[in-house]
Amino acid sequence: MTNFLRKYRPFVSAGIEEAIVYRANFLLFALGNTLGAFVTYFLWKAVFQSSTNSSLSGFTFPEMVLYIFLSFFTGILTSSDGSSSVGDEVKDGSIAMRILKPISFTANYFYEEIGSKLIDVGVLAVPLFGGILIYQIVGTGTPVLNLGNLLLYFFSATVAYLINFYFNICFSFTAFFFRNLWGSNVLKNALVIFMSGSLVPLAFFPPVLQNVLKVLPFSSLLYTPVMLYLGKYSMQQTISVLLLQIFWLIFFIFLAKIIWHFAIKHLSIQGG
Amino acid sequence: MRRVLHLEKIFISQYLKQTMEYKADFIVGVLGVLLNQVLNLIFLQVIFSQVPKLAGWSLQQIVFIYGFALIPKGLDHLFFDNLWIVGQKLVRKGEFDKYLTRPINPLFHVLVETFQVDAFGELLVGVILLVMSSATVHWTLLKVILFIVSIPFATAIYTALKIGTSAAAFWMKKSNTITYLFYMFNDFAKYPVSIFNHLIRWIISFVIPFAFTAFYPASYFLTGKNVLFNLGGLVVISVVFLFISIKIWNKGISSYESAGS
Amino acid sequence: MSMIEVSNLTKDFRKTIKSPGLVGAFKSLIKPKYETFEAVKNLSFEVPKGEILGFIGANGAGKSTTIKMLTGILTPTSGYCRINDKIPQEDRQNYVKDIGVVFGQRTQLWWDLPLRETYSVLKEIYNVPDKNFYKRMDFLNEVLDLNDFITSPVRTLSLGQRMRADIAASLLHNPKVLFLDEPTIGLDVSVKDKIRHAIEQINQEEQTTIILTTHDLGDIELLCNRVFMIDHGQEVFDGTIKQLKNRFGHIREIEFELVNAEDANRLNFSQFGSAIEYSQNEKNVRVKFDSSKVSVPDVIRLTLSQVDVQDISVKDADIEDIVRRIFRKEAAEHD
Repeated sequence: MTNFLRKYRPFVSAGIEEAIVYRANFLLFALGNTLGAFVTYFLWKAVFQSSTNSSLSGFTFPEMVLYIFLSFFTGILTSSDGSSSVGDEVKDGSIAMRILKPISFTANYFYEEIGSKLIDVGVLAVPLFGGILIYQIVGTGTPVLNLGNLLLYFFSATVAYLINFYFNICFSFTAFFFRNLWGSNVLKNALVIFMSGSLVPLAFFPPVLQNVLKVLPFSSLLYTPVMLYLGKYSMQQTISVLLLQIFWLIFFIFLAKIIWHFAIKHLSIQGG
Repeated sequence: MRRVLHLEKIFISQYLKQTMEYKADFIVGVLGVLLNQVLNLIFLQVIFSQVPKLAGWSLQQIVFIYGFALIPKGLDHLFFDNLWIVGQKLVRKGEFDKYLTRPINPLFHVLVETFQVDAFGELLVGVILLVMSSATVHWTLLKVILFIVSIPFATAIYTALKIGTSAAAFWMKKSNTITYLFYMFNDFAKYPVSIFNHLIRWIISFVIPFAFTAFYPASYFLTGKNVLFNLGGLVVISVVFLFISIKIWNKGISSYESAGS
Repeated sequence: MSMIEVSNLTKDFRKTIKSPGLVGAFKSLIKPKYETFEAVKNLSFEVPKGEILGFIGANGAGKSTTIKMLTGILTPTSGYCRINDKIPQEDRQNYVKDIGVVFGQRTQLWWDLPLRETYSVLKEIYNVPDKNFYKRMDFLNEVLDLNDFITSPVRTLSLGQRMRADIAASLLHNPKVLFLDEPTIGLDVSVKDKIRHAIEQINQEEQTTIILTTHDLGDIELLCNRVFMIDHGQEVFDGTIKQLKNRFGHIREIEFELVNAEDANRLNFSQFGSAIEYSQNEKNVRVKFDSSKVSVPDVIRLTLSQVDVQDISVKDADIEDIVRRIFRKEAAEHD
């Protein structure tokens, strides 16, 4: 295990260093994304003010506020952008350098990403997650802070990150066929944002659609951890959503291995 | 002016040929942008399934504002998207050298070099929404003329903010995240400003004035009120911002340091 | 009248100092440190119309910075350059109509499109009339052999083809001054030869003034009437190749492979005095000498008369070598 760590440590710390070098950029980028969460917040605030009901589709306003910011934070926590670099690397041919390295293709991306991810989350957790906790403690009518739910959330979010990582790796292989990942990325992001519940809680959709979306892997990426945090699930539901998450994780790990096996045979480096 | 249009035409056709080299990706991209807008509309639909009116505006009216917002955004996206690349890599990697060794204005050169076809996704959805909701507007000839006039000014606000912030790269090497931060404020423009708090209202009106790209002009067409502020403000703000951003750009070029050997 | 006039040209850069490692990265996040770095110091020179000037120096000597000021890309900190009667920074757009620029490490071609498309866009950018354009393309085809690959997308070209295409792109509008920054870098001998020949032909046909930076002594020796050498941003030499060699001596190296290693004992170069030195490694004998004092044929003749030789190879000193020698000599003069 220590040997394993020693081998990959340089990748992690290189990732961290790079993240610091571009830290200002990253903070501005995150701030830009936070704006989107605030737009959603004001929009829901107006909705609740215009409505005569104090609860919409099972959400009170404080719960909705938590949902908005927590799903935003979870989105960052579980995001994985390995795929975007695969597209560029296929385009400029530098993917060859990765294939030549004596460690597995996916591990290569994973350890590079973990480094920058630690910084990203570390920097943002304080204001964002801190803000969420403070809101929960001092706000009126907010759901009570629950240690069990907090632990469930972090466990589920970690699984969600891994699912997302392998999902993106699988997705990134479409670069071998499209040769350019930009277009398919736009399409994927639109779908994922919608189906994972980060735009609207899935509970607001018609029942049939809701049931389909809950079984698809996208809800495992975001909706599941956030709902666990809010304590919206019974014991039985909790167990079943966690099992579903683990099922999707295993599914994408295997899918990534299978695709990689075939893709390497078809690799045509461009521009060489 | 004829030369400007001629070059624009040449560059657009070159860019289209280039895009066609990656056909499949390009088609998927247009679908993606389109889908993105459609999903946002579903979001609006979900909201209005809960309440009949939002801060005093009906769904039809909100749809008009939303559709209006997409037009200048889409036009800027279509014609001037290359500005992102300035702050992302052209300056940092020294690729900006190329523009300085050509006998045409570098800003113009950067602007015309791309033609981002996926913007048709935004424009298409924008036009459809405007048509769908146009019954809520009491149209007069004056309003039609003002509508047409307001579009280029609203587009110029987008472009001015991108020019100014991407020029920061001449000093900072990389500035695309600053552009991004500014650009993201456009999300606020799509909704009535009355739903936001005072600070945000003030920012999106006068600091990063995206409210003038959509809500203010659209609210004039919807209500017929405050033409001086809603449209006069648009013209003044867009001219002032464009002027300042071009000043910053030109100052930036003389500080350009190129890169590498 | 000179085509290029450079006077007291100076460029300073401000650099952020980064301390190594994680802690360092954090430090420069909180309080970045700067230092001023003088890339080019007080350069002055003139180039007459029609001359090919070899602009040389070691890596980081300030060559590229100078070229970028001459082409109007960078603004000098002080001093000025006047080219074709224009100050590049003051009248840039007008100025660049009459110059052509090739950066060997970078391309100005449209990457995803057939090469031909690049030329048709450049035609519009430089406003080249149809008639001139076709005539010019014919000439460039002839000199640079573009026809073989003019319909291929640029991304599929080999490095040599790309370089030829880039040179053609810089010449489409028939510039009065041509800047070539490392035009033969990374190319094999036959391609280098073709490119050198083309440069020569363009210079002769159109009286184009050319500034050429290179690491390749071959480029300089075949093309340049004059060499301008800088180091640490300052002029260290300005004159002809011959003067350069005369002034700094010319170290040659010959390697002999002997039939029998023991034969080396019989070697005796004492008649050349201190101008020559040699070393032996088994069968290989390496002889170093100053060719301004001892001629190559004399060394070979003497060696062959003393021992049996299997193989001979003669090595030329490269620019880096000469630069190094100049500094050794200057350091010696200071002592």
